[in-house]
Amino acid sequence: MPTPRVRCLILACGNSLRGDDGVGPWLAAWAEERFRANPDVRVILRQQWTPELAEEIAHAEFAIFIDSSLESDPGETLVVPVAPEPRGAALATHHLSAGELLGLTQELFNFLPRNALLLTVGADSTELKEELSDAVKAALPQACAEIERLALRREANSGP
Amino acid sequence: MSQTITIDPVTRLEGHGKITIQLDGQGEVESAHFHVTQVRGFERFSEGRPFYEMPGLMARICGICPVSHLIASAKACEAIMSVRIPHTAAQLRRMLNLAQMVQSHALSFFYLASPDLLLGMEADPAVRNVLGVAAAKPEMARAGIALRRFGQHIIELLGDKRIHPGWVVPGGVTEPLAAAKRDEILAMLPEAYANVGLALNVYKQITDEFRDEIEVFANFPSPYLSLINEDESIEFTDGALRLIDAEGNTIEDGMTAARFAEVIGEAVEPYSYTKFPYYKPLGYPEGCYRVGPLARLNIAKTMGTPKADVELAEFKQVAPGPVASSFHYHHARLVEIFYGIEKIEEILADPKILDKHVRATAGVNRLEGAGQAEAPRGVLHHHYKVDENGKMLWANLVIATGQNNNAMNRGVLQAAKHYVKDGKFTEGILNRVEAVVRTFDPCLSCSTHAFGQMPLALELVSAAGEVQDRIRRD
Repeated sequence: MPTPRVRCLILACGNSLRGDDGVGPWLAAWAEERFRANPDVRVILRQQWTPELAEEIAHAEFAIFIDSSLESDPGETLVVPVAPEPRGAALATHHLSAGELLGLTQELFNFLPRNALLLTVGADSTELKEELSDAVKAALPQACAEIERLALRREANSGP
Repeated sequence: MSQTITIDPVTRLEGHGKITIQLDGQGEVESAHFHVTQVRGFERFSEGRPFYEMPGLMARICGICPVSHLIASAKACEAIMSVRIPHTAAQLRRMLNLAQMVQSHALSFFYLASPDLLLGMEADPAVRNVLGVAAAKPEMARAGIALRRFGQHIIELLGDKRIHPGWVVPGGVTEPLAAAKRDEILAMLPEAYANVGLALNVYKQITDEFRDEIEVFANFPSPYLSLINEDESIEFTDGALRLIDAEGNTIEDGMTAARFAEVIGEAVEPYSYTKFPYYKPLGYPEGCYRVGPLARLNIAKTMGTPKADVELAEFKQVAPGPVASSFHYHHARLVEIFYGIEKIEEILADPKILDKHVRATAGVNRLEGAGQAEAPRGVLHHHYKVDENGKMLWANLVIATGQNNNAMNRGVLQAAKHYVKDGKFTEGILNRVEAVVRTFDPCLSCSTHAFGQMPLALELVSAAGEVQDRIRRD
């Protein structure tokens, strides 16, 4: 079993060229700056979650996944627990969901973070543009506050 | 009554493709084609840009092998500038290109090919993926992930970004290597050696299980093209091109990028957006050749590093002359990963590797320039024309996947004729036909990947347009 090297791992994904899909990169940049001096928190941003990230997750006590959502209302910020998902039939080389990543981590490293949460911000539009919608911009303070609260709490295994 | 089988899209490739298999009235395979259904257009929209922007623009063609485009493009720009880059810059670029080769080959072997190799061609498609490999052979999945990370981390250390690093520029690189980064790379080497050693051992143990596939997976004589050094060792970044025939005789040697267009022509076919390069003296299609790991190992007399040379010697025992079956691309990739790690170690021991002089500067001294490098999948050629102010007037790119296009089509036909009988197919047969294409690891246009899961459908259609049979993966 791997030894945790970081207390809190923040894993964001998204594409800043695709409108509100850029909320993940925006929040990752914010978190990077906010926790720059905090060795307990590590921030990783990727356009897509790929299998290599399983190794990073295997070294974290607590994981916060950040993504945009097309299923929520625009600007709606949700935090939900993530459970490891069994292997799917997807190609699984270029993109995995948070649950699939946890499942892969468990499969490969026989380890899971004590807690894993997914923070999503509802997207209004993911068309080609480099700006967030007004609804998502308005949600940023709440999303930042949630990330700060989750990343800094002492008990990693409590719920959302 | 003729019938057509369509495999669309082909899965576990870099990009999107489609295979059609045409059956005759007796249900036997008449013809087969591998279609590339994407358009690139990079040559056209680079027109009008300053030439020194080209490396950064061209790297966006691909998310897997941007480094090769960076290097080939920078070399074309340097031909326009008429400069020779500093020794240290050349070594650092070489290391960057090798790191990319390692991570790209690891993706191809462990993520895309190993589900077939480790779980079997007939395995349930629901588990025949990297997650299935993780469940059945976790040590191999961990090795693949670690080798990907090894290559990507070196790219990130050198270029500050894992994908599309802007560190390579016309004239050299923007920053020298810091001692701390050198030491970090050196510390990663033992694990990387162990991981590729594990994969080579596993591969050698299972090869015999695929005798049938080896026999019909694009197994035919052809010429081969790759870069090579003057001492006949393998080369990825500098050197010159050599073309050998099917028996291994050199038919073209010392081919610089400036001579490429004299020797290599490009044909087009109506069923694919990818061009079909060929050796002009032999004409089209007789002059079509193969590039990539198989070509490089068939052409090189030595890897130039001791441990990889042992592996090369073993690889060359497969056949008395050039190894003809494209199934052996998989083995060649693992040998090249071994070489890449060993060569990176050798480069880091260069006493000048921390030298601060890593960039030469110049303006426009020629109105035309060409550059070439080995991408993971084979020879990559960039050719530019500019005006006296350095504005791009014209560009032509010859990519590795195009150079393997004819061989992929021949390979699909060979496998389809072997496996598809009486108009019947199974999921395992479908997968084998796809797997022929996967041996080449074609990169069809990585920068335009679809989001999410790609379905796969295979249909058997009668001449009257009726679907007679269908297999679908969701």
